[in-house]
Amino acid sequence: MNGLHGIIFAYAKTPGLRELTEERMPGSVPFGGRYRAIDFMLSNMHNAGITDVGVVLHGNYQSLIDHIGNGKTWDMARRNGGLKLLPPFADERKYRGAVFRGKIDALSGVRSYLREIRQKYVVLSDSDLIINLPLQQVLEAHEASGADITCVCTANGAFVENATYFTLDDAGKVTETRCAPHTASGYRGLEIYLLRRDLLIELVEQCIVQEKYSFRRDVLCAMGAKLDLRGFVWDGYAAQLRSVREYYERSMELLDPAIRAELFCPERPILAKEDDEAASYIAPETHCVDSLIGDGCLIEGEVEGSILFPGVKVGKGSSVKNCILFKNMTVEDSVTLKCVIADKNVRLRSGGTLIGHESYPLVVSKNSVV
Amino acid sequence: MLLAGGQGSRLYVLTENMAKPAVPFGGKFRIIDFPLSNCANAGIDTVGVLTQYRPLELNRYIGSGQPWDLDRADGGVHILPPYQSANGASWYKGTANAIFQNIGFVDMYDPDYVLILSGDHIYKMNYDKMLAHHKKTGADCTISVMEVPWEEAPRFGIMSVDENDTITEFEEKPAQPKSNLASMGIYVFTWKKLRSYLIEDESDETSSNDFGKNIIPKMLQNGEKMAAYRFSGYWKDVGTLDSLWDANMDMLATGSGLDLLEKDWPIYGRPSSAPPAYLGKNAHVEHSVVARGCTVEGEAENSVLSERCTVEEGASVQYSLLMPGAVIRHGAQVSYAIIGENAVVEANAHVGQPPEAVKPEDWGITVLGPDAAVAENYVLAAKRMRSADGKETVR
Repeated sequence: MNGLHGIIFAYAKTPGLRELTEERMPGSVPFGGRYRAIDFMLSNMHNAGITDVGVVLHGNYQSLIDHIGNGKTWDMARRNGGLKLLPPFADERKYRGAVFRGKIDALSGVRSYLREIRQKYVVLSDSDLIINLPLQQVLEAHEASGADITCVCTANGAFVENATYFTLDDAGKVTETRCAPHTASGYRGLEIYLLRRDLLIELVEQCIVQEKYSFRRDVLCAMGAKLDLRGFVWDGYAAQLRSVREYYERSMELLDPAIRAELFCPERPILAKEDDEAASYIAPETHCVDSLIGDGCLIEGEVEGSILFPGVKVGKGSSVKNCILFKNMTVEDSVTLKCVIADKNVRLRSGGTLIGHESYPLVVSKNSVV
Repeated sequence: MLLAGGQGSRLYVLTENMAKPAVPFGGKFRIIDFPLSNCANAGIDTVGVLTQYRPLELNRYIGSGQPWDLDRADGGVHILPPYQSANGASWYKGTANAIFQNIGFVDMYDPDYVLILSGDHIYKMNYDKMLAHHKKTGADCTISVMEVPWEEAPRFGIMSVDENDTITEFEEKPAQPKSNLASMGIYVFTWKKLRSYLIEDESDETSSNDFGKNIIPKMLQNGEKMAAYRFSGYWKDVGTLDSLWDANMDMLATGSGLDLLEKDWPIYGRPSSAPPAYLGKNAHVEHSVVARGCTVEGEAENSVLSERCTVEEGASVQYSLLMPGAVIRHGAQVSYAIIGENAVVEANAHVGQPPEAVKPEDWGITVLGPDAAVAENYVLAAKRMRSADGKETVR
């Protein structure tokens, strides 16, 4: 499907993710035993036949660039078009510490890129949304409804701070948009927007001259009466990773086969950079149950209710319960772990005990030795 | 130059529809990943893969060569099937003829040395060290050798060497071996020399155009300098069902020398995009490898579970190799078996038997070919093979 172009925003910080984003952007937070958050949206785009994608960067984006590479994983290393990383210009202003005040700000920095887009439509998304969304269906709905902007939203109306809520009529038309309200009502937006390239450029230009920078407030709310906004309701799995607790809970949901079947449906595979690991080895006299195991793990201890990324080692006599262990981390012998999120290359020395709680998982920062 | 054209007839149902080098190995790999990864790790940037038998799967797998860093602006991986020329067309008649027919390809890159590899060996080897040995000794041909137990020597091409490891004699499968240094089928040649021998060999109508049978003996006879390069790591020819099963089991055993988890000499492959493996609440997995995409709710011991395999609750897999996508339904029992790609063992069926269950002469690995199926409650005994069309044979 060559009529759709992707733009992914990978600049926003998520302070709630604490140590997990010390050295990385939310888009490159590891998720699901193999992936980085941005893999999901890039795969959604690939699965919808999108070949041209721009990733708007700012902040600690080195690990993200390393992960994305030339976009080959998502078939976006193309002679024409393909995946383009859009780092900021050096002379950009800062607004009270924030890099961009809003999506319009971010887009205004890449206006020349927007003008070069070959496709008629553009889909905008954040980099840290965990979802397996058939974007071609969103485009079909957009074209069928004749909307100016289609906003993907979820019927899961739970209250989330700083979210966007929409009221939809029976035809799916947005009758009201509420930006960061204090109570939940209607459909919650997933920050995925589909619109014509020309309209996007026009809106950006219009906002910039008026010193406006928020897509939600200055476009969706302020121009809601003039624009035809429609909702695309997605009732499947969608996880936004805004806090360590949310990260932990949404990760653990993957141990449910129904959720895995939905998020990793073979018709729309989630693609990730290859890890070049052999298959995992599970030693004799171990007990490894109810867990997701990435490749290249060496398991000699007990593992239960956990998610292990590639290359994790669990030593003899160790017990790992309800933990998330990132790539190449090592649990030495006779270590007891419960409700721990251990980042990449962490080493937990023999005999130690680390216990967090479901409501407050203990996070061990990248490269630490405990 | 990687010889990957063999049929692999001794792998029977596994190679009915694909060339031997494309056969899955070790959970996430295919046999050809080993020589290709060795090339990548040794810094070799130009590889010709000679294909002939059922090359479709192999061609698709190799693709641009990107997993092995062989998608190069200059060089890279080239698939070399037999071709038609002005004087007619011919298949590759033997290993030497396959290289002879591609003299033009090698000349195009004009190398000083050529490395000849087989596509059916499992091993990790630094070819760069072998080349250094070749240069140091000033040999025209260097053959990689390893010590094998004396009783096994009659199965190999055996080299006799002098005190400098210069080859003095070569015997193909000798009944009374004079040495226990076996050829591993890995050769480094000085290209100019090999080129002239290939041309000479081609004009000899009685020759079977084979490296082991013709080129090597001829060079020895003519007094060319032939060096042996000793290799001491893990190496196995996986050309038979037993050796393929053995090599997979070796991977499980610590101390076998085949450790695919160590990172110093990684093996690269082109795995599928499946999510991590899931081991269920009642799963029991011991002394086994499990690759991405597997769902294990039942039991697996001493086994290799390749990508995307399913072992349902109540099913048991023992001492077996499940190739990618194999499905073992609830209550089924699989032991001492090779289950081909996407093959299905339905509920309560039995596939394979442990050695102690049958008379020694009746025992052997049981094999399901790719896409084969075993019906509910069916028993497929030891030594039997079943292919996708339902045909059953005893080995």
